[in-house]
Amino acid sequence: MTNGQDKTDMEARPAWHFARRYGLALASVGAAFVLESVFLHFHLPQAFGLFAVSAIAVTFWYSGTAPGVFAAVLASIVRDYYFEPQISTDSRLLFDLVFLVFALLMTRVVKERNLLERRVAARTAELMRSNDELKREIAERNQAEYLTGQVFESSPDAMLIIGTDYIYTRANPVHARYWGRPADSIVGMSVTNLVGADFFEQKIRPALDRCFAGEDTRIEEWFDNALGRRFLAVSYSPLRRGSERVEAALVISRDLTEHVLASEALRQAQADLAHANRMTTMGELTASLAHEVNQPIAAASTCASTCVLWLTRDEPDVAEAREAALGAVRNAKRAADIINGIRAISRKGGSRRQPVDMSELIQEIVSLLRNEAQRYSIQIRAELDADLPKVVADSVQVQQVMMNLIMNGIDAMKDVDQPRELVIRAQPAEDRQLMFIVSDTGIGLPQQTNKIFDAFFTTKPHGIGMGLRISRSIVESHGGRLWAAANPPRGAGFYFTLPIGTAIEADGKE
Amino acid sequence: MSRCEENKLVAIVDDDDDVRAALHGLLKAVGFSSHCFESAEAFLSSGYYRTTRCLIADIRMPGMSGLELQARLNAEHCRIPTIFITAHGDEEMRFKALRAGAVEFLPKPFDDQVLIESVRAALHC
Repeated sequence: MTNGQDKTDMEARPAWHFARRYGLALASVGAAFVLESVFLHFHLPQAFGLFAVSAIAVTFWYSGTAPGVFAAVLASIVRDYYFEPQISTDSRLLFDLVFLVFALLMTRVVKERNLLERRVAARTAELMRSNDELKREIAERNQAEYLTGQVFESSPDAMLIIGTDYIYTRANPVHARYWGRPADSIVGMSVTNLVGADFFEQKIRPALDRCFAGEDTRIEEWFDNALGRRFLAVSYSPLRRGSERVEAALVISRDLTEHVLASEALRQAQADLAHANRMTTMGELTASLAHEVNQPIAAASTCASTCVLWLTRDEPDVAEAREAALGAVRNAKRAADIINGIRAISRKGGSRRQPVDMSELIQEIVSLLRNEAQRYSIQIRAELDADLPKVVADSVQVQQVMMNLIMNGIDAMKDVDQPRELVIRAQPAEDRQLMFIVSDTGIGLPQQTNKIFDAFFTTKPHGIGMGLRISRSIVESHGGRLWAAANPPRGAGFYFTLPIGTAIEADGKE
Repeated sequence: MSRCEENKLVAIVDDDDDVRAALHGLLKAVGFSSHCFESAEAFLSSGYYRTTRCLIADIRMPGMSGLELQARLNAEHCRIPTIFITAHGDEEMRFKALRAGAVEFLPKPFDDQVLIESVRAALHC
């Protein structure tokens, strides 16, 4: 800046600058002349040489080389004409030579000085630059610090930093609100004191230890805090301020209580809907089921009468009576089994997955629906291998799927000409799954096949259009798929897959 | 009585094994011998219908129903006294059966005494 200004001054007033530089030569040599005149007047030792050299040096130093040389020449002339004019030409030349050599030396000195000045200027500029840089960096860091602080303080999630000694080093207002105490009072507190020793040891400590070992960790857990029972998703991220060693954990926890409650409500609604669907299906089957139950009850009653008849004869036949009584027992048991089967399907309750023998399950449903099928002269055949692997499933739900598909097949065949045939088959599919196929020879599928899986899509006069929708969500919740395709030459085929699994795997998935 | 039992055959047509066995046992206890058939078709093809003096038949069965069997026998002028037993009979069905010549129409589970009396009546014993 200052250099620039000098330059401007020089350019603006070159004449004044020139005059100043050469003026200094005149003034300094003039001063030497005055001093020498004063010394002469008072008869003091003659020292013009000394004064002149000083004048030349001063001129060189402040005004540069040309005015310096001018001063040297001027000093020689002054000395020759005003002082010691009587000395020899040799002496005079010698004096002039001394001035000249001095002037040359001063030229050199001025050059060195200028070089030094330039270096100093360069270094100064460099220093200024790095100073600016430093200032900018500090400003940036302050800005970043400010933003981080803002994020930390105004985050809608609880944020905190926990040291490897399990002590809070920072906590934001949301976390403070979770625990109903000021953030300042949480800092310096140990985690166990805030959340309780049992909960800390069981849930928090293992997560923190994994985080301190360098692993990003996440837990989802119900916490009892100042806001009541809250479901929090908490992430633990290792903090390594510049070093390899984890020095603290950054903990961010989000309150998912509303979300979890909503999904639980949704799950409950789905379960209720599935139950309603089962009840509707069972309602449709009332006549068939009544017949199914009546058969063994009739048989049991007849057997009991028979038993009485054998015993009340003139000569009671105990062996025959026993035989009849056993028949009554067997038939009563069969009636009970059927009722239990109906109850199992109508049951309402939580989902429980375990290995299921699908062959057995399908046979049970087929026997339950046999009468319904007979009502419409429909043949139901289950073509299943005896050594079918088990699947991991909720048996009530899978029964419901089977029931829905078979009932749909029966409905589709009610109004078609013979033959009416419903076949259930199973075969291995990809990804360790078992595929089940329920095919009928009914009216077939509508043009937009996938529409049948939409809620409230129905072709039945009294249907509500939830059966296939529910069946698909049940199969998908088991990790399988449910789809439909034509069953040439006529009718429809419904396909679904379920994961094959043994008891051990099932336990793992529980 | 014994003469009556030996000569007069009772046929039971029902697709349910247990019901069939129970009826057979009941008739045996009161001294009637009976033959069991699991379907109307089996009964017709056995030729027994020519000697049968009393028929106990289920209405709903796979294949030919009890009412169809009755119509078939009527068409062949083979009027066997028939007792229908059914787990889901309605008045219309009952009326239809009785009009076609059935001697009794019993909903399951039925009163065994009534059944025995009906069989006795059919056999004129």
